[in-house]
Amino acid sequence: MTPELLDIARAALVIAGSLPGEVEACVQHTHTTSVKVYGREVESLVTADSRGLGVRYLEAGRQGYAYTADLSEAGMARALFDARSNASASEHDPFLGLPAPSREYPHIVGLWRPGVRATPVKDKIRLALDAEAAALSEPEIGTVEESVYADAESRLAIASSLGMEAYAERTHAYVYLSAHARRGDQVQTGMGVSLGREPGAVDAVQAGREAAQRARGLLGARPCATGLYTVVFDREVMAALLSVVASALTAEAVQKGRSLFANSMGEEVAAPRVTLVDDGLHVDGLESAPFDDEGVPRQATGLIDRGRLRGFLHNTYTARKQAAGVPADSWGGFRSTGSAARSSYRTAPGVAASNLVLMQGEGDLSDLLRRVGSGLYVVNVNGLHSGADPMTGQFSVGAEGHLVEGGALGRPVKEVTIASDLLSLFMNVRDLAGDARWVPLYGSSLAPSVAIEAVTVSGV
Amino acid sequence: MSPEGLTPELAARVLGRALRRGGDFAEVYAEEKQSLSVRLEDQKVEDVTSGTDRGASVRLVHGPTTLFGYTESLEEEALLTLADELSAGLAGGALAVPPLVRVNGSPQHPVRLPPALVHTPAKAAMLREVDQAARDRSAEVRQVMCGYSDSRQRVWIANSRGTFAHDDRTRVVLALTVVAQRQGLIQIGRETVAQHGGFEAIQDTDLAQLAALATDKAVVMLGARPSPAGRMPVVLAGGFGGVLFHEACGHGLEADYILKKTSIWEGRLGQTVAEPFLTAVDDGVSEGMWGSASFDDEGTPCQRTVVVEEGVLTGYLTDLLRGEKLGFASTGNGRRQSFRYLPYPRMTNTYFAPGTVDPSDLIAGTPRAFYAKSLSGGQVDPATGDFVFGVAEGYLIEDGKLGPAVRGATLIGNGAEVLRSIDAVASDLEVKAGMCGKEGQSVPVGTGQPTIRLRELTVGGTEI
Repeated sequence: MTPELLDIARAALVIAGSLPGEVEACVQHTHTTSVKVYGREVESLVTADSRGLGVRYLEAGRQGYAYTADLSEAGMARALFDARSNASASEHDPFLGLPAPSREYPHIVGLWRPGVRATPVKDKIRLALDAEAAALSEPEIGTVEESVYADAESRLAIASSLGMEAYAERTHAYVYLSAHARRGDQVQTGMGVSLGREPGAVDAVQAGREAAQRARGLLGARPCATGLYTVVFDREVMAALLSVVASALTAEAVQKGRSLFANSMGEEVAAPRVTLVDDGLHVDGLESAPFDDEGVPRQATGLIDRGRLRGFLHNTYTARKQAAGVPADSWGGFRSTGSAARSSYRTAPGVAASNLVLMQGEGDLSDLLRRVGSGLYVVNVNGLHSGADPMTGQFSVGAEGHLVEGGALGRPVKEVTIASDLLSLFMNVRDLAGDARWVPLYGSSLAPSVAIEAVTVSGV
Repeated sequence: MSPEGLTPELAARVLGRALRRGGDFAEVYAEEKQSLSVRLEDQKVEDVTSGTDRGASVRLVHGPTTLFGYTESLEEEALLTLADELSAGLAGGALAVPPLVRVNGSPQHPVRLPPALVHTPAKAAMLREVDQAARDRSAEVRQVMCGYSDSRQRVWIANSRGTFAHDDRTRVVLALTVVAQRQGLIQIGRETVAQHGGFEAIQDTDLAQLAALATDKAVVMLGARPSPAGRMPVVLAGGFGGVLFHEACGHGLEADYILKKTSIWEGRLGQTVAEPFLTAVDDGVSEGMWGSASFDDEGTPCQRTVVVEEGVLTGYLTDLLRGEKLGFASTGNGRRQSFRYLPYPRMTNTYFAPGTVDPSDLIAGTPRAFYAKSLSGGQVDPATGDFVFGVAEGYLIEDGKLGPAVRGATLIGNGAEVLRSIDAVASDLEVKAGMCGKEGQSVPVGTGQPTIRLRELTVGGTEI
């Protein structure tokens, strides 16, 4: 029996049969449940079922895209018509084209787990309540702003007139909460998260405690003195930082001249301790899948190897463009790295990282702080969207955390800014802890806490 | 789908089904939206995407709990099934739905030239002209990204209070990013034209001029020196400086934060929060403004709400149900990205009312300050009001004159402090278009202000 989604994609191709161009049909079905609790009561319970078709049409080197949730024959025909008409309004580009079909896909055991569907809603609600209760049971926690449980079952089918046929399904579940600690007039916020492939793998109590401890640890925070510090980015902060760098490591950004790594292939772009891989196959990575969003097998792609830039992420288009004429180099890679990505069936594929993995060092956080001796340990950054730019490399964010004194955590710090540029941050990595864990909040990444030297911190 | 979308008769049947096992409130929100986006980069029109979103959601509120679901269909059967699924967990008696009455909204926003009547190739050609104009302006332009999109969103909203509302919203936007490079340094300039209205907004704009503005911004910043850091007076230029009020104050005025007591403004109505010359509004009705509409996404007519009047906190921004809990009528701020989302209290167009001082006099009267001409966006923690903004274009004011451009600056502070520290408001009000994100939803908002001066703020930069 073929999956229903693949049948829908094939049906679209049948309707497209008489068109002269190449056609790709992508059908996506997502079923999600999310629960939000507040004040020990269920604030909202949302169940959503979304299913639709996106059509990519290529004719004479021009590409057009259209989408619809109307999966009747008429609805699919309309989308095909629109995609073709959109192609005629876009520009000729010799590197456009659909990927060749793959014979084999990697098999990742455990991407789909039955628990998301099998778990009763009341048990999912319980997880959100447990996380909230765990946070509220800690001292000085006034409120939990929101405690959320969310899960998804996603299915994706891609079929093309070149013979591509790909189908995959996966699940995930997580708990997320944000706790407020209060002492006198001061309020500090801390977040906690726990992620798994099904509800049973989510540790709600641990997430709740973590949110509470993070918030409480910052009570009494005030600015520190302006100066040059060795800054230790907590692993969550490091994950956020990687998400900013991720777009600069796509061939799309490089080819369009909007990557700070554009002319650095083979060169030193980070300290020798830094090795970064995009691993699209790791079973614990939220973005893992047998194939990317145009049906090309996913893989693990080396990006930075012991400080040297060794690769960029490609989809089919950027790989063809790289292969044809752009100065070739020995590490660039002219094949798609299985990095095609779309946010939903409503968009044509671009290029994006799947799961960024920063190789960890040794010891836990306290070992790292001991090795660092003195500096600033950062647990929250804000303004990352506007303050860190993967094109210019500019980096300037607000930060909260603790002083590091005598190799241990000192007083809490807030209202300071960290200013540098992304390349300097990576070049000045001095040490990494061995405490890496998966963070699903800014894309998906596995990062340890990292110490970076000579960073400008402005406070008082 | 019938041409009228959701009829009052069908809406009443769906609401009746949703409430057949009890509940305090039920709502059906139906939507059909046609969208087109055209994107140019690398001197090529490389993405042309269009599509139709069509669907409806049902919301059922029972005690403290909201049950919500959606379907990508407007067929009666799908809507009734959805209502049944949501109400399945309740065990009360059926509630009658009062007769639905069509509500008159605030005025619709005129669409002189429906974007659907302009051929897609003409829109693509327009982007090529913008690209060329930017490249002609300066040899240092290395990349131009330009996107155009239009949408027509029709919504039908009915609820168990007897409301039936329909809105028809056409929006167009053209956004331009110019990347300039000098040796190893890269800088960016951005400009946007956006309107709740038809294609005329684009047609009436001098696009070459727009391209020149964005280009000049990037090129000027190439010559900028690294920004100083520390506490200093700050002048925020009219227009996008309004992002500061939106982020640092506006979010905290939204009723969900008030209700949860996670806002610095909670319990402070009637208190003095700024100098007496400061007035701030949320304006959902001004014609053609990006964040305006006839109704909000709960069927409440949009309105103009004065949130700070002559220095005194006078209002919060609320949707229907949170307003009831707080004892206020909805201010027409219940908004959502689409039928796939629950409504939340959201701003429409927020700005400081203009003062009387000429902006050039304001600068002349400022011996030394950081001048933020445009901000690139920011983040705020509504619980504390603490914020950070990136400065896209910054200068120093020295001896009452605009001095050298500086780059890499951020503004760091606290919303309540900033409001108190505004010591001058100029007369040059300008409102810019943007997208505001909250609860994973993005909605069009206007942010604006005249030129204002803050006594002191922390500027983050690379020069100590």
